[in-house]
Amino acid sequence: MHRRLLWTFALLVGIPLLVVAWLGIRLAEEREARAVQGLEELLRSTLRSLDGEIQQLLERHRLAIRQAVQRAPGTRDGYREIRGRLPIVRQVFAVDRATGELLYPSLMDDLDREEEAFLRRTRDLWARGALLRGAEERPAAVSAGTGGPHAGGAWETWFWGDGLHLIHWWQPAAEATGGGEIVGAELSRIRLLADIVAAMPDSDPLAPDLEGASIRLVDSGGTVVYQWGALEPGDGERPIVRSRLSPPLAAWSLEYFFADPAGGPAGRLLYGWLPWLLLLVALVVALATYFFRESSRELREAAQRVSFVNQVSHELKTPLTNIRLYAELLDESLPDDLPGPRRHLRVIVAESQRLSRLILNILTFSRRQRQGLALRPRPGRIDEVIHKVIELFRPSLEAEGLEIALDLDASRPAHFDPDVLEQILGNLVNNVEKYSAGGGRLAVESRQAGETVTVRVTDAGPGIPPGEEERIFLPFHRLGNALSDRATGTGIGLSIARDLARAHGGELELEPVTAGARFRLQLRCGEGETEAEREVRSP
Amino acid sequence: MRRHTQPANDIYRPILIFLFLLGGLLTVPIGAEPVSLDVAMDTPVLLSGGARTAYLRIALKGGELVDPADRTPINLAIVLDRSGSMQGEKLAEAKRAAVMAVERLQPDDVVSVVTYDSTVHVLVPARRVGDARLLVERIQQIGVGGNTALFAGVSKGAAEVRRFLSSQRVNRVILLSDGLANVGPSSPGDLAELGASLANEGIAVTTIGLGLSYNELLMANLAERSDGNHYFAERAQDLERVYTAELGEVLSVVAQEVEVTAAFSSGVRPRRILGRDATLEQGSLRGRLNQLYSQQTKYFLVEVEIPEGAGGEQRSVAEVTVSYGDLRTGIREIRWNKVSVLYSDSLAAVEGARNSRVMGSVARQIGAEQNQYAMRLRDEGKLEEARRVLRSNAEYLAEHADLYGNRWLEQDAQRNLADADNLDAEEWRAQRKRMLSNQLEALQSLGYIE
Repeated sequence: MHRRLLWTFALLVGIPLLVVAWLGIRLAEEREARAVQGLEELLRSTLRSLDGEIQQLLERHRLAIRQAVQRAPGTRDGYREIRGRLPIVRQVFAVDRATGELLYPSLMDDLDREEEAFLRRTRDLWARGALLRGAEERPAAVSAGTGGPHAGGAWETWFWGDGLHLIHWWQPAAEATGGGEIVGAELSRIRLLADIVAAMPDSDPLAPDLEGASIRLVDSGGTVVYQWGALEPGDGERPIVRSRLSPPLAAWSLEYFFADPAGGPAGRLLYGWLPWLLLLVALVVALATYFFRESSRELREAAQRVSFVNQVSHELKTPLTNIRLYAELLDESLPDDLPGPRRHLRVIVAESQRLSRLILNILTFSRRQRQGLALRPRPGRIDEVIHKVIELFRPSLEAEGLEIALDLDASRPAHFDPDVLEQILGNLVNNVEKYSAGGGRLAVESRQAGETVTVRVTDAGPGIPPGEEERIFLPFHRLGNALSDRATGTGIGLSIARDLARAHGGELELEPVTAGARFRLQLRCGEGETEAEREVRSP
Repeated sequence: MRRHTQPANDIYRPILIFLFLLGGLLTVPIGAEPVSLDVAMDTPVLLSGGARTAYLRIALKGGELVDPADRTPINLAIVLDRSGSMQGEKLAEAKRAAVMAVERLQPDDVVSVVTYDSTVHVLVPARRVGDARLLVERIQQIGVGGNTALFAGVSKGAAEVRRFLSSQRVNRVILLSDGLANVGPSSPGDLAELGASLANEGIAVTTIGLGLSYNELLMANLAERSDGNHYFAERAQDLERVYTAELGEVLSVVAQEVEVTAAFSSGVRPRRILGRDATLEQGSLRGRLNQLYSQQTKYFLVEVEIPEGAGGEQRSVAEVTVSYGDLRTGIREIRWNKVSVLYSDSLAAVEGARNSRVMGSVARQIGAEQNQYAMRLRDEGKLEEARRVLRSNAEYLAEHADLYGNRWLEQDAQRNLADADNLDAEEWRAQRKRMLSNQLEALQSLGYIE
């Protein structure tokens, strides 16, 4: 009993806790996912703004180059001079738009080392004719700004040797060149990198801006050009966010690395939720303990009460037995011509028998609660027990005006507990007596088939209302209102009768009938024999 | 090609130039020329009858500092390696040397301090020195980190210098590294390109290689192309001496952005340039020096072929123009000179007229080239051959040192002898760094005083 209560409470505590924890984790996971998404978006926007800065840097270089080339005389010396003046410019060049021939630097001229190197680097570019095609495709593109058509010009990238190389070219205004030239400049890759490094933030090892994070600029070959932030990403560690630079530097990318202090989302989740979860568990456990103690106290008190009633019943049993004994002795010794006292005596005997049954019921009930029902089967005959019970009740039944009809056919010897059968039948007949008062009929029928004995007790009383068929077998359940207004009882009779029947390997059930009520009792009885028969068989 | 149209106001240009020159004359006190130009041939007298090969030397000498206290303000970025390998004495000495350098600056100088490991930190953004104690305090806080982002360190250092970039300041980055650059661009060619681009802005990068693990070619290239100095500090204790020497140079700069143009006369054919690099095209030479130090001489040496002439005939060889920024005034000055040769039939006259200073310079460049050759041989594992080349080079240098009474040649001869003895495997790492820095010293005429 106690253990079952414990289990119940454990489930009561455990299931809600599991549900709450599961919900909490799901919620936290969802929040985590949203937070990660938000974080990524934030990091991405940081990278975008850095990309913006690099684009601005490139734009400043572009403008400086355009200005320098436009101001310089369009001669070899003029072009060479730009190379020395603008550190970002590695080489200036001019191409004949019609033929695609390099006008400067030209193999016809005396080339210096830089110019020779430029021709080597760009050989593929001229062979590809990309610039000329670009000029065809953009006849009037980006014509805004100063300098006439194609003032915006275009970027061209190619890979050579150590990585990405960058050219800016455009078609100068027609009045300067007759419109037949493309002019451009190759940017120094190294100088551009140096300028980008200079434009990007640095990192203070003592007070880093990027705590637990770092950003890397990675070139086309995957080599780290520059990095900042307090985190030193391990080899092979993947960035949280990677973003390519805008063209023409799309071969380069920015990477954001982020260290997770709690070791992954699950860890962070636990970090945040653990204290709350623990608090909840503690609260529920405390509450459960409180209720458990309360209810077990009540149970203890109820058990004490039952035991009290039990003891009182025991105490009542002995005087009651004496009362019956002496009343019956008196009855026998009374002369026959005293009908008045004899009738009174019969009432005393009947009432004390009723009281005995009541006490027996109470004791059976409390025994069932404590240790279960014990049977003491012995050889006997069913019908004899039925006769005995009916004879016991006959005076009071007849006093109530009930007609008794017996149809007994279970007189073969059987092995059963006659006390149990007597108690069951007593309870059933007692009910009939109680509820069918004021006339009617009590029919008892018995059948014996193999080991199974069936006894049917039928009355012509008001019957059992529909829906109550099973509940009447519950302890302390009594049919209410009009029906039982007159009747009294403890409400344990049928319950005990059924328990006893079941203990005896049988069943007590209500059988459907059109009027009144019919109980069917089935018992499993061993093939028994009477004591006389056993004496005959055993020499 | 673009047709160059002459703007109308170009006719005023000669007048402007005249006024400009007049202004220069008025502001520069006579006798304290920051740059003196010495253009000379090794053999001013050539033997007649046949084309001759001769050497032309264009030497620039920094003038005396009138008042050392009234020196040019400087704009310095100290870039320090704080990679893991600097742990311990190296970093301590580097910090001590940097503190020493900062303390020698004057309140009006501009300084910045940049440290680098895997990342770069602008420890002190470019600022006037003011109270040096604050700077010293910050330098003391430097601790070691991880890798070596050398490229980014130089880029950030140069960016700090650029914030106060001025033709009236000596703009310089002093880079210290003890290891291989392993974050960012790290090939000698890349760093040379960076150096050249910084030189175009007037920023020189002096490189100090500490210990035996750095890439000497990368460090030498960066210094050479940006016209800075290169030092090899074998031990951490050498750093203070190196910084002192470097600061001494920086503090003695008298002229910046020196541009040299030599137009060769017709018939004279320049064949090759020795030592310091310059461009040679058609009939002219263009060279550039980032700065000129007080009392020091820097020169360009050109091998020329001069056509034959008759005895007594004089032939113009070249006209040389030098323009430079005077640091005291911030004004660009121009110097001009020309050189010619005389033909003679007498061998004695030819011999007697030899210019020993120019001859000395030529010998020094040839000696440096031989040393480079020996280094290549050693790199190929031809140890004995390299040793032979060095020994004979030492002989050659010693001979010419006696001939011209040139102590630099004497020093180079000693160094070549020492080199010959230190080619063994266990010595080679240090030795190679030493040789490279000595070669650079000779080729660039670093610290050369005539």
